[in-house]
Amino acid sequence: MQAVHSAPPMSVRKKRAKGEKGYLRRAIGYLGHYRTMTFIAYGALVVATLAQLVVPQLVQAMIDGITQGAIAQRVLSIPNEGVQAMALSQLNTTKEALQTTYNNAPSWILGAVALILVVAVFRGLFAFIQAYAAEWTAQGIAYSMRNDIFTRIQRLSFSYYDRNQTGQLMIRATDDVERVRLFIAQGLLLTFQAFLLLIVTLTILFLTNWRLTLAIIPILPFSVILFAVFGKISQPLFRDVQMRLSKLNTVLQENVAGIRVVKAFVRQNREQKRFDDANMDLYIHWLKIARAFSFLFPMIFFVGQIGQAVILYFAGSQIIDGSLMIGEYQKFNLYLVYIFFPLGQLGMIVSLMAQASASAERIFEIIDTKSEITDKPNAVALPPIQGDVEFREVTFRYFNSTAPVLNKVSFTAKKGQTIALLGATGSGKTTIINLIPRFYDASEGSVLIDGHDVRDVQLDSLRSQIGIVLQETNLFSGSIRDNIAFGRPDASDEAVMNAAKAAAAHDFIMEFPDGYNTSVGERGATLSGGQKQRIAIARALLLNPKLLILDDSTSAVDFTTERKIQAALDNLMKDRTSFVIAQRISTARNADQIIVLEKGQIVAMGTHAELIENSPIYAEIFASQLVDDSHPVAEAV
Amino acid sequence: MMMDQRRLFDQETRKAKNVLGTIRRFSVYFRPYWLNLFAVVAFTLVVVYCNILYPELIGQAADCYLISTPTVQMGGSGVPTADCWYTDITQLTTTEAKVSGLLGLAFTIAGTFLVSALFTGFSFYTMRLAGQGALRDMRGDLFGHMHNLSIGYYSRNEAGEIMSRLTNDMDTLQQMFNFALLNVFQGVMIIFWIGVAMLRENLVYGLISLSVAPLMLFVTRYFSGQARKAFRVARKEIGQVNADLQESIAGAREVQAFNREEESIAQFQRANEANRAANVRAAVFTSALNPVLEAFSYVALGIVVLVGGFSALNNQPLIEGTAVITIGTIFAFIAYIQRINQPISQIAVLWTNVQSGIAGGERIFNLMDETIEVVDRENAKQMPPIIGEVSFNDVEAEYVKGEKVLRGINFDVKKGEMVAIVGPTGAGKTTIINMIPRFYDVTGGSVLIDGVDVREVTQDSLRQQIGMVLQDTFLFSDTVMENIRYGRLSASDDEVIVAAKMVAAHEFIERLPEGYQTVLGERGSGLSQGQRQLIAIARVALMNPNILILDEATSSVDTRTERVIQSAFEKLLEGRTSFVIAHRLSTIRNADMVLMVKDGQIIERGTHQELLAHGGAYYDLYMSQFKAEEDVA
Repeated sequence: MQAVHSAPPMSVRKKRAKGEKGYLRRAIGYLGHYRTMTFIAYGALVVATLAQLVVPQLVQAMIDGITQGAIAQRVLSIPNEGVQAMALSQLNTTKEALQTTYNNAPSWILGAVALILVVAVFRGLFAFIQAYAAEWTAQGIAYSMRNDIFTRIQRLSFSYYDRNQTGQLMIRATDDVERVRLFIAQGLLLTFQAFLLLIVTLTILFLTNWRLTLAIIPILPFSVILFAVFGKISQPLFRDVQMRLSKLNTVLQENVAGIRVVKAFVRQNREQKRFDDANMDLYIHWLKIARAFSFLFPMIFFVGQIGQAVILYFAGSQIIDGSLMIGEYQKFNLYLVYIFFPLGQLGMIVSLMAQASASAERIFEIIDTKSEITDKPNAVALPPIQGDVEFREVTFRYFNSTAPVLNKVSFTAKKGQTIALLGATGSGKTTIINLIPRFYDASEGSVLIDGHDVRDVQLDSLRSQIGIVLQETNLFSGSIRDNIAFGRPDASDEAVMNAAKAAAAHDFIMEFPDGYNTSVGERGATLSGGQKQRIAIARALLLNPKLLILDDSTSAVDFTTERKIQAALDNLMKDRTSFVIAQRISTARNADQIIVLEKGQIVAMGTHAELIENSPIYAEIFASQLVDDSHPVAEAV
Repeated sequence: MMMDQRRLFDQETRKAKNVLGTIRRFSVYFRPYWLNLFAVVAFTLVVVYCNILYPELIGQAADCYLISTPTVQMGGSGVPTADCWYTDITQLTTTEAKVSGLLGLAFTIAGTFLVSALFTGFSFYTMRLAGQGALRDMRGDLFGHMHNLSIGYYSRNEAGEIMSRLTNDMDTLQQMFNFALLNVFQGVMIIFWIGVAMLRENLVYGLISLSVAPLMLFVTRYFSGQARKAFRVARKEIGQVNADLQESIAGAREVQAFNREEESIAQFQRANEANRAANVRAAVFTSALNPVLEAFSYVALGIVVLVGGFSALNNQPLIEGTAVITIGTIFAFIAYIQRINQPISQIAVLWTNVQSGIAGGERIFNLMDETIEVVDRENAKQMPPIIGEVSFNDVEAEYVKGEKVLRGINFDVKKGEMVAIVGPTGAGKTTIINMIPRFYDVTGGSVLIDGVDVREVTQDSLRQQIGMVLQDTFLFSDTVMENIRYGRLSASDDEVIVAAKMVAAHEFIERLPEGYQTVLGERGSGLSQGQRQLIAIARVALMNPNILILDEATSSVDTRTERVIQSAFEKLLEGRTSFVIAHRLSTIRNADMVLMVKDGQIIERGTHQELLAHGGAYYDLYMSQFKAEEDVA
């Protein structure tokens, strides 16, 4: 790490580039999962390419057959014997030989055409197999990569989610995978094909007529240069347009979503001006692309075409002096395409490869992330929880930060107690409750449940016995029933319903036409924050845990509902050890123990009565932070 | 076959209902660029001409220079006369003459290539110049029109949906005018001219040689259509994969908390597998398209060689009385037929883009045609400076015809009074306040401000004098300074700061990384709900209106911020006529008049004390919601 930092920037960049290539190689290594199909794809590619290379030979045969035959016919049909003899001598042949040529011409042409059709079908078949197999493997690779990413993401510790946003992770699994797929499905294969075509074609051309081949070689560098220019110019131009477009869309978005504000403040003219500016900017950048692309593409074609004119002259001269057959010229012309075409492909592939490399690196960054929280090799199953929880000198620091979020926190919760956690945002409340189900590991000290260090037991056995209601409730697509039974998919309908009733969710669930079968999530019914929360509570209660953790759980519902939930919870907390991040006064009041936190340390601990007496901090929090009740929600929900 | 093709077209693309009408609308935007369009057509003709010239020149090369039939000049009989316009053929007796003639021809050919490349560039550039200009103007008009649309339109349509429609449609238009349209046009022209050239050169031979072309077009359309269909399925599947991903990443904590990793992974793999299967299915068609097309091109080549070859061999015309096919003709035809493949596949693939572009244009024009519900009267006056008296006289309102959301709303508010509006969700509270700045028009009765009917003054002059703090605070991705200045564009920085201080927003703004110059993320992300609201309040404070409309937020902010906001509100309300959709008891207590709204009607009115004493609906509301909490406290 140090060495890299102190190295000069250039070598850093080199190292990085090399690293990226390494990732791309690793991505290509996924082809190993689909060895047979990969083999088929590349095998078919070789066959199809070679078949393609046969075509000009056949065309040459056809044309030579026609030309020779036609000339023979003309000479043979000259009525004047003398003239015919002169022609024969000029052509340096005999009448018999011409007659044979003429007689054989039809079958020669027929044969060549038949062969071309056979090759066409053959090549078509293999080209299809190649394209299909390549797509098959590429889709397979994308599939495997997505699975790997997903599996990894599911098992990462909470601190990973703290550091990474959903949107970014999504992009890895979608756009980045797509880019790698595109490169492997097309780029890699095309590179192979391009080199194959280029090498074989040039070899054939050299062997048939090296002088003619030399005539076109000077053109090759031009097309390579043009493609390099193309790649260099196009990417930043498109990036620019993309940037302008998203700017324009932001203005548009703001005006659609904020139309009331725009109208209320009568700011249409200002907004129109903002939009016009963005619009003009976009227009100018589109024109830049238009300028570059309108001429670059035709020029690239032009360079390829110039070869045809060059060949016409050089080959033509050879034909005229009799050293070249006209069919061979045609063949040459056809082969020309096979030289310029792959060069063009290589130009495209370079940019494809650069993108794929960067994407592969991002993908493997995820796949290579080690989960910080895993079972110890000799972890045992946690026996049924009784409910004693102890924090022993627990210190917690976030990944590579020096300031502790929790500093030497110690406390004991007895079986069946309710512990209320209080403190300002960032005081460490949430961290404490996250340490119990081992979403994070303590940096120092230990968390014990019934005397077992949570790091010594199997994660599954630990978490399955703890009921958790997180601050933000996420529901998953599926029915309401599925969501409540999230932690116990095999729960009976009755158990699900009881949990819902206890969480004051049953009534509103029954109001949906499909009741418990109402689907929620992405494409389902939209639930209000309060409804979601009650489902989350039901979900936790269904586990019938001995340990219950509630984070801000009752802040987003209206008062009437809240009282219902509160009553249900009070009831439910009775036989369980519960940790509650308190937002409401009533919660704090009823707790067996209140822990007051400030900057990661416990500053006061005790019951409400004790604390109100002798803790000024508690008194202040009580007065200012807890929701007191003269500002209720007046919506009749 | 024509019928089948049509059917495929219909299935495959979203087509505009009124193609001609839409094109006419486009033409309005292209009118300033008619010279460009004219030039595009001219340039394209040059390009196409160059394209078909090459095969002809190659044919001449063969007939005039390359085919050595030395006896031709001497014998004279049975000689196919080639049309060599480049040089007079009779001069070409020596090898040197032929080679130099050939050199000239090679340069001519290179020249046509160059001209073709340049004019292709010109045509695309000119077309893009016109297309981008027209699109820019369309976007500007569209944006302007969006402001004219009434709030009603935006309540009926989701913002997200409007956005994605606009961006998608604009994108299809962009594609169409950027390359699809011109490529299709060029392709059609090339095919047409090549067809004509072939038929003119030799009608029978041409017909036979072209016979494969329609088949190719059909096959390409078929395969690309099928591929499109298959991809649509694949898109749906990838949508599912993405939804699963999104859900699982967002809910990863829950998945772990409830030990659902295995199931979640298994579920994802199923969706992922379905996506792969759909994509592989689509790959059948995409993979087949090019090989099949290529095979057809070989068939076409075979036909050209076979038919032409035998005719040349026998020195007999295909049909008695037509011209004999020369070897040059065969050469030309080979070149022609090779040049027809690319345009055919291009047209087949891009035609869909053109169709979608037209359909996208139609939808955009439809949006532009959307009726504007609230319009200024022809002789609307400026609203005089507002004093602050508001009256509702028998106001009725409906969003959907026949469904009244407000009925018989009557009240009078004096200057400086505060009105609290309470009631259940959907009772019509928001509708009432929306009538004051004329976001909607009444369908009966009238709304008067200082005795002036709001419909008789211009919307701008009215709204400029009414301050609104909406429940869902909307901030722009701009600096805090500019967001506050939005209330009065002419305000100086100092005035902005004074307004922020007045509503106690100054303190937290100063603490932001770059103070007032901090750029807010999309929709003000990066700030808490409460902070966003304070900025919105400062915005209105800067505006200093005499009528104020507030929609109190129901969402929870922390108690400290809540208090700050509360006192900011109180400061703001001082001395102004105000309407508050109230959710807090303290607000209601301070109100000069409380309106209890239910089912679009005012069912009770009076002060908090009066209504409590009355013992009606308000009393019930109070007992069930406010009173209970006072007890707890």
